[in-house]
Amino acid sequence: MSDPALSPTVAALAGPRTPPRALRAFIGFARKRPSFLIGLAIVVITLFLAVFGPVVAPYPPERALPGVGLRPPSIEHWMGTDAAGMDIFSRVIAAPRIDLTIALASSLIAFVLGVVLGVVSGFFAGAPGLGRFLSEGIMRSADILQAFPIFIFALALVGFRGPGVENVIAALAFLNIPYFLRVTRGSVLQVRERPFVEAARCAGNSELRVAFVHVMPNALTPALANISPGIGFAILLTAALSFVGAGVPKPTPEWGSMISIGAPNMMTGQWWTAFFPGVALGITVLGYALVGDGLRDYLDPVKRS
Amino acid sequence: MRFLKYAGRRLLFLIPQLFAVSIIVFFLVRLLPGDPAFLMAGQFATKERIEEVRSDLGLDRPLHEQYVIYVGNVLQGDFGRSWRTSQSVLQDVKQRLPATLELVLSAGLLAVALGIPIGVYTAVKRRGVADKLLFGYGMLAGSIPDFWLGLILIFVFFSKLGIVPGPIGQLDPIVSTPPTVTGMIVVDALIAGEWEAFRSALQHLILPVATLTLVYMTLIIKNTRSAVEEMMESDFVEHGRALGLPRRTLLRYALRNAMPPVITVVGIVFWFLLGGAVLVETVFAWGGLGQYAVEAVVNSDYAPLQAFVLLAAVFTLLVFLLVDLAYFLIDPRIRA
Repeated sequence: MSDPALSPTVAALAGPRTPPRALRAFIGFARKRPSFLIGLAIVVITLFLAVFGPVVAPYPPERALPGVGLRPPSIEHWMGTDAAGMDIFSRVIAAPRIDLTIALASSLIAFVLGVVLGVVSGFFAGAPGLGRFLSEGIMRSADILQAFPIFIFALALVGFRGPGVENVIAALAFLNIPYFLRVTRGSVLQVRERPFVEAARCAGNSELRVAFVHVMPNALTPALANISPGIGFAILLTAALSFVGAGVPKPTPEWGSMISIGAPNMMTGQWWTAFFPGVALGITVLGYALVGDGLRDYLDPVKRS
Repeated sequence: MRFLKYAGRRLLFLIPQLFAVSIIVFFLVRLLPGDPAFLMAGQFATKERIEEVRSDLGLDRPLHEQYVIYVGNVLQGDFGRSWRTSQSVLQDVKQRLPATLELVLSAGLLAVALGIPIGVYTAVKRRGVADKLLFGYGMLAGSIPDFWLGLILIFVFFSKLGIVPGPIGQLDPIVSTPPTVTGMIVVDALIAGEWEAFRSALQHLILPVATLTLVYMTLIIKNTRSAVEEMMESDFVEHGRALGLPRRTLLRYALRNAMPPVITVVGIVFWFLLGGAVLVETVFAWGGLGQYAVEAVVNSDYAPLQAFVLLAAVFTLLVFLLVDLAYFLIDPRIRA
């Protein structure tokens, strides 16, 4: 309903101007935080490589080139070659495809399930009857899951299902649910006390509708800020699983599995085999952590200014 | 007296926790695609062996009976049999546990011994070069994979400089193993007074312990620092300052009150170290439980894997039990 009779003040308050202002605030914030910009650049580069990495790679990343095993870095092979003669630079920039697929998929699944469970457990905490039972049940299950050291649990889950990309995604998604659950629950506990929630109830909305339509959108911020570091952590776990042979099977280009291929060469002095994939992995994880830190501060009105 | 009562209550609490953990581990085997008896028995099992496993696990009975059988087996120390080592899992675990404990304890204690003083120092002397260095180190340690750092250390200190032994096991092959008392070779060599074995074992410990300490110490530094900073700015220290108490006294008060969060993070570090040990043991061919678990995963040897997950969870519960008890001893507010 467009209404030309609205006074200019009301029109200004009503909203269409907010997006550019928010954007300007965001740019202003990013300018003052070089670490956030660096993180953002790293994230953009890895996303680009996830899509185009295998295409822009100078050599086919999964093919062993004849007669060039274990060459040190040179003009032809910027990061050298591994024992089989595969070009390490090509493999390093092709790896984000699989690493990011796993990390993004598992983090998104964990985010959705964690938020839904977090809303249920937060909104119904202390409620009479079934709601309370659900809420307590969810929290105690999360406690027990988190009693297992995370890498060991991931290893066991993948071990019992067998290696393979889908199983790694499933295991990491499952293990990351409690983190999203806890932050969402904490924020729901605060939001549900606000007056508009009471108003929504009085307007005749059902409890479930109040929880998911009115409370959830206002309680998403902490979970959203958690996605980026969650992705970094998932990449680290994927690499660790692949390193011990329980993740992405060889010879698919993946940083952890490349480090494992290069491991024996580190003892005999061919440092480039494991060095470069590890650097790429470390920079990527750092990038997602920096973006996460920045977003958390940006979404926190006290720290933003 | 009150401590005993608290410890007793806390120990009782361990029972439902163990119960819940055992249910999860029990269901791990049910994740196996296909016939678990066939898979648990291993690739080269005979028909009789598969039937034996089937009756051990009670796979033809209803689920709740299977669970009772599982708990009964575990309580008797029967964790099944590894088809790869063809030993009982309990025997395998007994052989390998000390090596892992040696690694985790050394790295954990070193991280505490270095991390807490560094954290306190940087809390007192803010805004210096040390501060900037520490920030960079914290960022790096959070994103560097521990197994990669281990390989880099191997390249620098073994391959290039040649000042530490190669990453194969806990002892030089020519040195004879000291008689087993604790199973931790450094300790056993010390007890037996075999200095050559002691030196060799210590040398083999350097790189894996350095790897784990470098990666996980940053958590202790960060948390000690923020806890001490917070206490130095608190009202009671401010009051003491107004009274003109010497700086040393103020710091002592602040430290005592900063202990509880530090103890929590030390617990968390030990919890992380167990996971890190799995990877670092693999890098250094350490021959402990972590490497055993990885070999079990790679070879689809399920009984050891199930036992290892259970042990890891029990280890976690014990670590946090110790944290709670230490909390009780240190913080009088909890005792009320």
